[in-house]
Amino acid sequence: MIRLRDHWFYLVVLAGLIVLPLFTDSDFVTAVMPSGLSGSALLHVFILMFFFAFMSQSWNIIGGFAGQLSIGHAAFFGIGAYTSTICYIHLGLSPWLGMFVAAGFTAMIGAGLGLISFHYGLRGPFFTLVTVAFAEITRLILLHWNFVGAANGILLPYSRDAGFWDFQFNGKEPYYYIALVMMLCSIALVAWVARSRFGYYLHAIRQDEDAAEAVGVPTKRCKIQAIALSAALAGLGGTFYAQYTQYIVPDDMVVGRVSVEILLGTVIGGAGTIMGPIVGAFILISVGEATRVIFEGGGTGISLTTLIQSDVGLAEKFSGYLAYLAGGGGGGLAVLLYGVLLIAVVLGMPGGVLPWLTRKRKSFAKSDKKGDS
Amino acid sequence: MSLFEARKVTKRFGGLTAVNAVDFNVQQGEIVGLIGPNGAGKTTFFNVISGFMKPDEGDVRFLGDSIVGHKPSDICKRGMTRTFQIVKPFPEMTVTDNILVGAFNHHRDAATANKKAREVMELVGLGAQAEKLGRELTVAGRKRVELAKALATEPKLMLLDEVMAGLTPSEVTGMIEVLGRVREAGVTMVIVEHVMQVIMNLSDRIYVLHHGEAIAEGSPKSITSDPRVMEAYLGESFVAEPGGEHAS
Amino acid sequence: MYEVYIQALISGLLIGGVYALVAVGLTLIFGVMDIINFAHGEFLMFGMYSAFFASALLAIDPYFIIPIALPVFFAVGWLVHGTLIRPVVGKSHAIQILLTLGLSLFMQALAQFLFSADFQSLQLDYGSSTFELFGTRVSYTKLAAFVISVGMCGALWAFLQGTDTGKALRACAEEHEGAQAVGIDLNRMYKVAFGLGIACVAIAGIAMRPFFYVAPLVGPKFTLVAFVIVVLGGLAKFRGLLPAPLSWVS
Repeated sequence: MIRLRDHWFYLVVLAGLIVLPLFTDSDFVTAVMPSGLSGSALLHVFILMFFFAFMSQSWNIIGGFAGQLSIGHAAFFGIGAYTSTICYIHLGLSPWLGMFVAAGFTAMIGAGLGLISFHYGLRGPFFTLVTVAFAEITRLILLHWNFVGAANGILLPYSRDAGFWDFQFNGKEPYYYIALVMMLCSIALVAWVARSRFGYYLHAIRQDEDAAEAVGVPTKRCKIQAIALSAALAGLGGTFYAQYTQYIVPDDMVVGRVSVEILLGTVIGGAGTIMGPIVGAFILISVGEATRVIFEGGGTGISLTTLIQSDVGLAEKFSGYLAYLAGGGGGGLAVLLYGVLLIAVVLGMPGGVLPWLTRKRKSFAKSDKKGDS
Repeated sequence: MSLFEARKVTKRFGGLTAVNAVDFNVQQGEIVGLIGPNGAGKTTFFNVISGFMKPDEGDVRFLGDSIVGHKPSDICKRGMTRTFQIVKPFPEMTVTDNILVGAFNHHRDAATANKKAREVMELVGLGAQAEKLGRELTVAGRKRVELAKALATEPKLMLLDEVMAGLTPSEVTGMIEVLGRVREAGVTMVIVEHVMQVIMNLSDRIYVLHHGEAIAEGSPKSITSDPRVMEAYLGESFVAEPGGEHAS
Repeated sequence: MYEVYIQALISGLLIGGVYALVAVGLTLIFGVMDIINFAHGEFLMFGMYSAFFASALLAIDPYFIIPIALPVFFAVGWLVHGTLIRPVVGKSHAIQILLTLGLSLFMQALAQFLFSADFQSLQLDYGSSTFELFGTRVSYTKLAAFVISVGMCGALWAFLQGTDTGKALRACAEEHEGAQAVGIDLNRMYKVAFGLGIACVAIAGIAMRPFFYVAPLVGPKFTLVAFVIVVLGGLAKFRGLLPAPLSWVS
């Protein structure tokens, strides 16, 4: 669904990303980027971006292509992280293999969830509610299961001589390239899906399930396959996250906020498109970093609680509060913008930014009559 | 052996019997019409025989095998498909892709499926609109896409639910032509239709449904002269002797 | 030994009343507008903050701000409907869910910006007072929350049964086109339903405030609880919660 002439643009970007780690410490980058955004900090931002793009791409298969809105993908993500980590700690299995155990396990759970939901004919919002409940149940199990550290989570054992097989590295560069390759693989997978019968079937299901069923689309089976594939990718992402942060804990991973962040990139970039999730992740991380940089050093050091309990008059409290807000308040501005972006996209450009741009360009270059597909 | 056979098919909604012990059969190569006044149970019957609803009693057989309880997609794989009265083109897909989804039914490979889709597109006369989106089409265009999607699945039997509804007289003529070509291509059809002229011209045989029961069956000619049919359509006062048997 | 269970039972029953009010707000919005409000819990969170600040800054007892909060949150709901919800009425459920999800994200972040991510709890003189019932201690604040919530539910029921607007609302829940056919202004009904739904959940938040901490992320928990209540009550009977033969209106 991408025009040929788009490809060289993506290739140039890719080439740039491949050589980027060589330059993150250069004088040029340090001069151009805002303070604090060079070296490993800059790499970290890109790792986050690739990781987000990868997770969004995973959601794209079930949420974008098949149109089944899951708000529970944090569960697959968390289960993936826990599975490979447990395999590593208790069985000594390399996370490189563990991540595929994790993917297989999350795929099975995803298929099970799909089997139950779709067997009972749950559609639309009711499927969404099931995914929300599923994520919450997963969180509660992890939170109370002592074997996996309950509320404390698991701190991955750090060893000085950890090597490649331990999926543990000292610098950020290896993680950078791993995340980049994972993102590229997810794009390749989705591109393949988009052109295959499976992809057409998923698109048909999203638009009209009855009509799809009537022309021979096995809707239930396709949806189960889609959620299993999607869950498998989210499981892989979980392993990467566990290895990168070296610390997993239910309340950081299996919460609604994470589920929403996973779908955010896809919905903003363009659900059901190949590059939409990538564009979305890029937009989100850029917005997040920009707000962080702009309001950096923010916070006047005023604590809201102290302010309220202080022994001054209302007027003084009020002016103190204004100063508190001017200093960035309690933070959260990046998420505030995420919310605004999501609302704006839903209301202003349903389908996402990428399809919107494509349409704009099409109407701009009307001479080019051939559609893309 | 009939290509398609419904035996004593009954469907109830709560206390209401929408379809009552209807026998129905279709032979290879026929066009069979299904008519009846509003509320006669045509749509319910259609949903039951196409696999979208399960009958409470009776059996539905296609190519000699019972298809009761099978999913519509399975039934489609076996060679029987349907269209919807309220047409359902995939709105965000081009006409080509709409038909392609149907063509994938028997061709896993995108290239051969594409070839099949082009063929069907020409047969139905949609070539000029290949790149339009489903939602951009006129009613006539949608009806043709609906037909083309079904045709692309390469059915032996096609169930058509009011493909003429909402068309202008000239569009109806065009559609009749298309159905003629479809028949020549060897596809057997069951058509539900309100436009009498169409059904009388196209059908080899007609079933009349009234109050959920099949009250008459026969050639178009015999149907038009059947007093039970006249009663059903025009009301009892027009007929000398009321039939007096109504389904509850 | 029994006391523990009785204690849990009574406490659960009292909190259950508050949850019921939260769920009634959700049901009202879903029933009339066919929209699932994923930002429901966030309105509860703002209700809690309003009570917190009234008490901490202005030294107004949280219970006394209910008469002010009721119209204010109704107006908030009315406005939110007019600006954000109205454009997606009748659109796909996916669009509606994503919109309310965006709204919940926005409200959570706004609360963090305005009130910080700290947990705030309220110290009231009577906050921990209890009385004895069946040999167990029951807290006054929980009882008050229960009474307020049940009272709100009752008032809403009376409103739906007794007033023209209420009857029109029920007609909308039953059948949109039919309601329109008898001259009901659907858009206005949607605004009223959204306003009432928001008012309900915000009042539930205020009622809970004396014994429940507040933080920007408390919302989703209540949204989920409300969903569970409504689902257990039978999604199919969603509309049944607001039964309304059309003839009552015409």
